Amino acid sequence: MGSDLDRQIEMLKACKPLPEADVKTLCMKAREILIEEGNVQCIDAPVTICGDIHGQFWDMLELFKTAGDCPQTSYLFMGDFVDRGYFSVETFLLLLAMKVRWPDRVCLIRGNHESRQITQVYGFYDECTRKYGSPTVWRYCTDVFDYLSLGAIIDGRVFCVHGGLSPALPSLDMIRGLERRVEVPHEGPMCDLLWSDPDEINGWGLSPRGAGFLFGAEPTKAFLHNNSLDLISRAHQLAMEGYKLMFERMIVTVWSAPNYCYRCGNVAAVLELDEHLGQEYKVFEHAPMDVRSIPARRPPAEYFL
Amino acid sequence: MRPHTIPNSPFPRSFNESTHASSDPDAPTRATDGDASLARLSAVRKGYLNDDFAALFVPRAHLQPNRAPLINIGTWVRTIAIDRLVDQWLLRCEDQGVQAQIVSLGAGSDSRFWKLMAGSHASTLAKYVEVDFSEITGKKAMTIRKDRTLNGYLGPDTSPQLDNLSAGGGTGISSSVYNLVPADIRCPPDEALSALFTPDTPILSKTVPTLLLFECVLAYMPPSDSEALLAWFAAQFTDSAPLGAVVYEMFGLEDSFGKMMISNLKSRGVSLPGVVPYKDQASLPNRFTKTGFSRSQAWTLKDIRKEYIEAEEHERVSTLELVDEIEEIDLVLSHYAITSGILVPQGLERWFAWDLPKLQQGQV
Ligand SMILES: C[S@@+](CC[C@H](N)C(=O)[O-])C[C@H]1O[C@@H](n2cnc3c(N)ncnc32)[C@H](O)[C@@H]1O
Ligand SMILES: [Mn+2]
Repeated sequence: MGSDLDRQIEMLKACKPLPEADVKTLCMKAREILIEEGNVQCIDAPVTICGDIHGQFWDMLELFKTAGDCPQTSYLFMGDFVDRGYFSVETFLLLLAMKVRWPDRVCLIRGNHESRQITQVYGFYDECTRKYGSPTVWRYCTDVFDYLSLGAIIDGRVFCVHGGLSPALPSLDMIRGLERRVEVPHEGPMCDLLWSDPDEINGWGLSPRGAGFLFGAEPTKAFLHNNSLDLISRAHQLAMEGYKLMFERMIVTVWSAPNYCYRCGNVAAVLELDEHLGQEYKVFEHAPMDVRSIPARRPPAEYFL
Repeated sequence: MRPHTIPNSPFPRSFNESTHASSDPDAPTRATDGDASLARLSAVRKGYLNDDFAALFVPRAHLQPNRAPLINIGTWVRTIAIDRLVDQWLLRCEDQGVQAQIVSLGAGSDSRFWKLMAGSHASTLAKYVEVDFSEITGKKAMTIRKDRTLNGYLGPDTSPQLDNLSAGGGTGISSSVYNLVPADIRCPPDEALSALFTPDTPILSKTVPTLLLFECVLAYMPPSDSEALLAWFAAQFTDSAPLGAVVYEMFGLEDSFGKMMISNLKSRGVSLPGVVPYKDQASLPNRFTKTGFSRSQAWTLKDIRKEYIEAEEHERVSTLELVDEIEEIDLVLSHYAITSGILVPQGLERWFAWDLPKLQQGQV
């Protein structure tokens, strides 16, 4: 299996999707590993934290060039691997293969796009059926989504989550108590973790996304204090400079999809935490726009024309 | 088992039939009409907009996929804002007991004329003129002739004999209200648009309040040509009747988002010379103040969405589809604006009140 897996990783690194049967085996193996992990996965520093990738496969290779290869570098991906970009299949399968190959060097947590419903709107479903001729691979992958952790905690001090906080979850223990192996619900605590955003408001507010909440500095401070944390690291929102610190450095948004949707013109970043949890942000740009990074026949990035 | 044959291209062929390889340098610009009409169709089908006519201008409409939520939302905001400016113009005419003329330049497959004729201001419209390249007007003329719903609105006196009355060898339509005129609006207007004011049978009257619409069209032409065009219209109406104009297009493309837009559009052969002078929102009114108009103001689509659309409408739209593009929507919408300009003869200063209606207190 080890060498099979290595061969598959090589294939995926060349952006070649795996045969359907291999996907099935890979997803089964992944599930066996993920089922053992907690809702809040504990990891050790040093680790490199990454935000949204959204199927931008060649840009993810730029990320690896910037932050180093696995397993030498230990990685935490904070969700939204799929949708929007042209290579969600290859992106997610490569991350999953890495997870199975080096379970202790790769941590994958769930984003709001790791959901059956959202992937049917934002591209992953269509990409799977286009590339495999049927939704089977989409089904394998979305079944894995249900097993992904909801968050991670690094050396007990840094809480990582895709979206943010929930008014119903004041403590890490309450997050640990959730039943996570379900499709992302439309509302409620689990939904909030994957959908919420920090914002310059007092307390809590309604989210313009129609799911999750907006949370201000006060709830953030309270959560850090009550759970003896230094920092919340999250993804979910485009940051033109690749990352954005807020609330006197209590929370940071890390964004790892450069030139998001091949349209936004932004740079991307990863957050490297050293063994003392010192922060270093490494910024990187999108892969060159040659035929490789975008299929020659592609729908143009959409604008109002 | 091998995966199903993975085709080299995961995308339908039509996307690649890019026109920029062809020898006609304007073909890609004309092709933007397809983007605009597909965006309109998608926003209608998804329930953002009400428009019974949009689909009639899209070939094989039922086979066309819907656009991303972001595109639907932008199309919704822009349509609401322009609809309101048009409505305000017509209401002002009605208040004064006069009719109105509307001229849409680079009208493409726009359905606004039919929406107006099916609405409550139909009798206020004296003339509705659409101008575009002859390749576009020819197709549109054909569509209108073949479709009973569409040709039913042209005016009772002309519809039975469309062919005889059509101008430009089948690439135009002239009827009592609706006129479709083939022209390249970069050319000197005295020639290109001579049909509008020709002495014997002018389409337009110089004494009727007239509104010009430029929906995503001036961006594609050199600024000097669009200035000449605006100045020409201003000269026709000085001291005779109020002249209003609405421009909708992108601006402020010097940041990283804008540079990416320019390079993405370039790869499909479309360039945006008209955008160059407009680096920020404050510069947008210059296009009118330097061409003889008296007043101008500009709103970004981002601000219109936040400040000019009622809470109930936002609420209604929020239920139409899942939207996870919040920051991106703001980023994209902050690069598009609607700019209005107005030129008013002495004594008709009350026309300066023509404006995008603000929300009443407490409506947000
Ligand atoms: C993006 S489309 C917009 C169509 C329509 N106004 C709408 O909003 O749905 C731009 C249109 O402008 C037309 N156009 C661009 N340059 C033109 C020119 N120099 N003369 C006439 N039409 C032009 C194109 O042919 C195309 O139909
Ligand atoms: Mn997200």
